[in-house]
Amino acid sequence: MAAPPAFEALGVSKRYGQRDALSRVDLIARPGQLHGLLGPNGAGKTTLMRVALGLARPDSGTVRLLGCDLNPLAGGLPDGVAGFVDSPAFYPYLTARKNLALLARLDGHRRWRHIAVDDALMQVGLAGDADVAVRGFSAGMRQRLGLAAALLRSPRLLFLDEPTSSLDPAAARDIRALARRLADAGAAVVLSSHDMAEVEELCATLTVIDHGHVVFAGSVAELRMRASSPMHLLHTSHDRAAIEIAFQRPGVRASAAAAGGLEVAAEIDALDGYVIALGRAGVAVRALERRARTLESLFLELTGPSGRGEAPLPAPEAAEGAAVAPVAS
Amino acid sequence: MRMGRWLTVTSVECAKVSAQAVARIALALSIAGPFAFAAAMRVQTSVPADTLFGRSVTESGFAIPLVILGFAALWAFPVLTSVVGGDLFSSEDRHGTWSSVLTRSCTRGEIFAGKVITALAFATVAVSVLAASSVAAGVIVVGQRPLVDLSGVLREPAEALTRVVLAWATALPPALGFTAMAVLASIATRSSAAGIGLPVVIGLAMQLCTLLDGPEAIRRLLLTASFGAWHGLLAEPPYYRPLIHGTIVSSAYVAVCLTLAYRLLQRRDIGG
Repeated sequence: MAAPPAFEALGVSKRYGQRDALSRVDLIARPGQLHGLLGPNGAGKTTLMRVALGLARPDSGTVRLLGCDLNPLAGGLPDGVAGFVDSPAFYPYLTARKNLALLARLDGHRRWRHIAVDDALMQVGLAGDADVAVRGFSAGMRQRLGLAAALLRSPRLLFLDEPTSSLDPAAARDIRALARRLADAGAAVVLSSHDMAEVEELCATLTVIDHGHVVFAGSVAELRMRASSPMHLLHTSHDRAAIEIAFQRPGVRASAAAAGGLEVAAEIDALDGYVIALGRAGVAVRALERRARTLESLFLELTGPSGRGEAPLPAPEAAEGAAVAPVAS
Repeated sequence: MRMGRWLTVTSVECAKVSAQAVARIALALSIAGPFAFAAAMRVQTSVPADTLFGRSVTESGFAIPLVILGFAALWAFPVLTSVVGGDLFSSEDRHGTWSSVLTRSCTRGEIFAGKVITALAFATVAVSVLAASSVAAGVIVVGQRPLVDLSGVLREPAEALTRVVLAWATALPPALGFTAMAVLASIATRSSAAGIGLPVVIGLAMQLCTLLDGPEAIRRLLLTASFGAWHGLLAEPPYYRPLIHGTIVSSAYVAVCLTLAYRLLQRRDIGG
């Protein structure tokens, strides 16, 4: 039997003026789970985090945190709930240690407050900068301090809004390891990120939001199953002409790949016809390789023009990740 | 609302205020200003004869705090009492720290109560420091001599001191009214400049209104009118009606401004 949810947002809607920031959004995160929250800019991820942390009131829907109904007007956050949205901010004229000590006081910590503060600073790698005024901190240091502020609450439910966006690779790795440790210790972590590799590495389950609507909710494996067409990496003698030809072929979508060549999404019959059409047009196929669908490509498919507002993606993809030998060289 | 929690918020806010230069500068000026004024009165040949007790500033040290009290009502009280109240809430917007503060265990109501108590406490301390410094400056620089009151009665030093202290105490209610106004401006505009500046501008506008030949009822509703309520304490027989009226008007300003400010903060979405 699954553990009761640590975080439950049911039918949450939020409107800013004429714009639906969230429209009947559901999200459930369970203890011990790292749950990814994905979506393009303006999709509603941060708004959902704000609602979850009691910073914004939903127009409708219910939010439950660790089994308690959230009512920002009546009570503060339940103990064990922590997190930050956007870039964490602190009083610039106070040191990191003093900032955390004040926040710990607001949490009602009396005894061991200083030990808790020092421990949190050490966990995020800021022990050496504890007595430096925050005005001298880089964005990455502030981000780590934000995480330290969250750790002070001994989180059993943690919301992290792009926690590694300003960090160097080593610091980002440390923060990811920390998030993993917290989840392993039983905390539910809801992580919003633009870094698909990060989400893929950390999160077993995810919710994809676009224009305030949930377009996918489930495991990463389920998302892969819903991919519409196999993905191929194609190298040709004339990529631009190959893209133009793809536009004219039904069932074929081609775009420039980040690492060079083209990413082509197509079923096998359509792909055969496309390769023949390339040959007839005098475009040589130098390599064709079947690729595992990256989370990024699936994300773009869900949130791009073709994915938005359409029926769920059909046809589970078979044997994904199987590489096909080059057919031409 | 849990009392322990808003006391905690108050202690946190006091720690933040004490770390800020502007609060310390305001208090330092409150201490140094009266001594500078008393010293200037001592060395110059003319006196501010057109102000209440201005003629007596070289004759009795107790006239110095009363002249300063009259002068402070013009603009010093609105500035002094808004320096913290007008910045406590908007500084969270300026630093972007609302989301850090409101994601702890305290409710918005407790945060509001703690901040308001801090603002009112600072205003009280600032007025008290200015009062104490004014009395000390008068006594030290000019001397502890009897004071002739508004009715021409000579008040012995002990009685004069009591009346001067009471006169300063009557300035507290309207000063707290200006603090509440600063809190409202700070929350409504999310700007410290407006939080501190608006009460000063409104105070000056009220002073101008008292000069106009408008209805008496409206003039009595102006917060600045309460600053003159102490005159009755320096008359023989003393009269208290303006004092009672001013206290009621000031309390109404505090209640209305803080209620509006609380509602604005409760309804506000942070960010987005």
